[in-house]
Amino acid sequence: MTKIGAMLGDVTRSLFQRPVTQRYPFERRAAPQRLRGQLHWDPEKCTGCALCNKDCPANAIELITLDKASKRFVMRYHIDRCTYCGQCAQNCRFKCIDMSSEEWELAGLSREPFTVYYGRDEDIQAVLAR
Amino acid sequence: MDITRSLIALLFFPGGLFLLLLGLAYEWVHRKLIAQLQNRIGPRWFQPLADMLKLLSKEEIVPEGIHPLLFTSLPVVALAGALTAALYVPLVGLAPAYSFPGDLIVTVYLLSLLTLCLGLAGSNPLSRFSLVGATRTLTQLFSYEAPFLFALLGPAIVARSWQISEIMAYTQAQGQQSLLGWLVFTQPVGFLVALVGLMGKLELPPFDAPEAETEIVAGVLTEYSGRGLALFRLAKNVELVIGLTLIAAFYLGGFNSAPGATGGLQVLLFFAKTLLLLFLLAGLQALFARLRIDQTVGLWWRFGALLMLLQWFILIVWRGMVA
Amino acid sequence: MQSPNGKESQERFVIPIGPQHPALKEPGHFEFTVEGEIVVAASARLGYVHRGIEKATESRTWVQNLYLLERICGICSHIHATAYSLGVEQLAGVEAPPRAQAIRELVAELERIHSHLLWLGVAAHEAGFDTLFMYTWRDRETVMDLLKGLTGNRVNYSANILGGVKCDVDEAQASAIYRGLDFLERRARHYLDVVTSDAAFLERTRGIGVMTREQAETLGAVGPTARASGVPRDIRVEAPYAAYADFPVHLILDRAGDLEARFVVRVKEMFESFRVCRDILDRLPPGEISVRMPRRIKEGETISRVEAPRGELFYFIKSNGGESPERIKVRTPSLCNWASVLNTVVGHKLADVPMILVGIDPCFSCSDRMVVIRTGRGDPEVWTWEKLRRYGIEAHGHHT
Repeated sequence: MTKIGAMLGDVTRSLFQRPVTQRYPFERRAAPQRLRGQLHWDPEKCTGCALCNKDCPANAIELITLDKASKRFVMRYHIDRCTYCGQCAQNCRFKCIDMSSEEWELAGLSREPFTVYYGRDEDIQAVLAR
Repeated sequence: MDITRSLIALLFFPGGLFLLLLGLAYEWVHRKLIAQLQNRIGPRWFQPLADMLKLLSKEEIVPEGIHPLLFTSLPVVALAGALTAALYVPLVGLAPAYSFPGDLIVTVYLLSLLTLCLGLAGSNPLSRFSLVGATRTLTQLFSYEAPFLFALLGPAIVARSWQISEIMAYTQAQGQQSLLGWLVFTQPVGFLVALVGLMGKLELPPFDAPEAETEIVAGVLTEYSGRGLALFRLAKNVELVIGLTLIAAFYLGGFNSAPGATGGLQVLLFFAKTLLLLFLLAGLQALFARLRIDQTVGLWWRFGALLMLLQWFILIVWRGMVA
Repeated sequence: MQSPNGKESQERFVIPIGPQHPALKEPGHFEFTVEGEIVVAASARLGYVHRGIEKATESRTWVQNLYLLERICGICSHIHATAYSLGVEQLAGVEAPPRAQAIRELVAELERIHSHLLWLGVAAHEAGFDTLFMYTWRDRETVMDLLKGLTGNRVNYSANILGGVKCDVDEAQASAIYRGLDFLERRARHYLDVVTSDAAFLERTRGIGVMTREQAETLGAVGPTARASGVPRDIRVEAPYAAYADFPVHLILDRAGDLEARFVVRVKEMFESFRVCRDILDRLPPGEISVRMPRRIKEGETISRVEAPRGELFYFIKSNGGESPERIKVRTPSLCNWASVLNTVVGHKLADVPMILVGIDPCFSCSDRMVVIRTGRGDPEVWTWEKLRRYGIEAHGHHT
């Protein structure tokens, strides 16, 4: 049975509804808990196995070893190279890597903030001094 | 004094600059209505103005192998035709600036000048899309023009005049007697054909085959950029306003305007009635998919022309019985 | 060109569509020879989005390739990853646990819903029916939010890992998915009604682009395009993979073979997807969601066939025992359907061409698997990844 204007119902209902568009950035919905946002690394539990580095498809993680015996590592993380796949978090046996569900607005105007160092403060200073 | 007043009417208000800005405002309302019907936000109020200013400030690229004078002058002629047609219609509820017997025909043909200019502009055989667009524009012109003209002549028959101001005086008188005296109730078929014919003239969906974005990029306007494109689009906006004014004046009981009278009521009625028509236009546009050019022609020559002939038959019989 | 009685027939000329054209969402070049408005010949040229992915897989580890292959296409990303994972698991002799396979199927069916809604909008836009386009894309946001809640991203879900899946389905997820599916099912019923009854839309789709069953089988069409012509091919039914043996799907067929049939088949497939998703959520098998996989995959070769939203997706994976594959060959469904477009479009009007083109749900990114490099010397050579990359850099004058 052919009708003329089969979308009439939708169209008339929309006249009385608020547009469904989210007025970002004035309205910002909370992201779900599983969102794969920016990476965070906890140096306390790391053993330096570097599985995160081996399987990263984008070479976004570099694990710099200062001293393997005393477990001093620094992670250099490239926000602009990361594809946010989550393989590193999956690989890490000690759950050192966590993907934030709040930090997902990562655009920037220059490249410097895209290289992030994670680790204990003194270790990071040591790496930067090199 | 008279020359000054005429010049002001021609260049600033209610023609000329005011009409251009009114056209932009109506374009915004139109886009906003469509957006609301599609459950989205739509552009902000200054978007059409920003578009025009941006286009006017960009370089106009004349394609190779085309007559440059023709290319650059056709948009100007189209806009000039549209602005001239505004002289004979009751814009903003005020009496038309000029009026003479038979000006209805002149107005309708001045409105068609835009379509003819588009057809001519697209006849450059180097660009495939322009050529197909021009063919479709002219084919569509031949299909909706006759029913649209007939629909506007329906009120002319009952008013026994071909002069827009006299027709409007008649429809106003009818309207003032009772609301049901509006021609939209006594000639509903004519109203429908006039409204849909206006959609055809303005190449609004579902009759936008000449500008089918997904088939021929932008039809005739593909090769236009900068000033030429701005002028064509301004001409279309002006035609939208003039078309709505004509249909509101004929079928929705006019604007209570008398020669020399100015008043807030007329302006109010003008905006109320033309915006109501714009709302109907937007609704029809949102509901339908684009028709192929052969389907457009088929639709108009089968339904449009037949409906109009029926309407005319009724009118002539009624007039024969009454007179 | 003159007809026998001496009158000149209308001039033939060639309308180019693409690589940049509003009808195409991705670049591809088509040339339609038209006489007036009737198309008399058609030819296509692809290759504009060739990215050298198959070559790139040879220099990455098995795990890294999962994410590379996922990005062959944005709309069918999960199914590419699934095909690859199933193939590699076959090679390694590892079986992913049943819960993981069920979750793989769940995400695959949600992706199918997403793909068909997206396609419905794009096809409506090609027909000039922008209202339907806006509404279907509004509803598509629902399924994207479901996938975002379940897997963590709206596109490129990365739900798969070699040996299972990354994300589990818990109570909150399941109830969100149920609610989303109810909403989408109501909308899909409405869209089925619109697509089969709106007069203006039917004028553009009924009886247009008809492809008989014989033509479809000769031209090698796959997926919903073929099923709309009555060809009963669906990998999920014929050769069930993942959890399709436990949560089966019904084959949706239509005999008409025209554009309307393609619309109807895809919307009905959405209903099947809703049903299967609910079934999976009701009877999700307990257990783990992944098993350990070795880093070096045993030597051997395997094929892996899955049903992408566009048709049969075919992977050939060859391993030489190392950490990287020796060769991966991907044959995507859109590649099979191009011939059907070029054949059915002859005799139709120019205005029907975009509709017929979009009727096969073309995915140019999927199709560009091979580029022929003519060096002018006549003999083809095999290029390494480095050589191809250097060629690209020099040809465009960029510096790394």
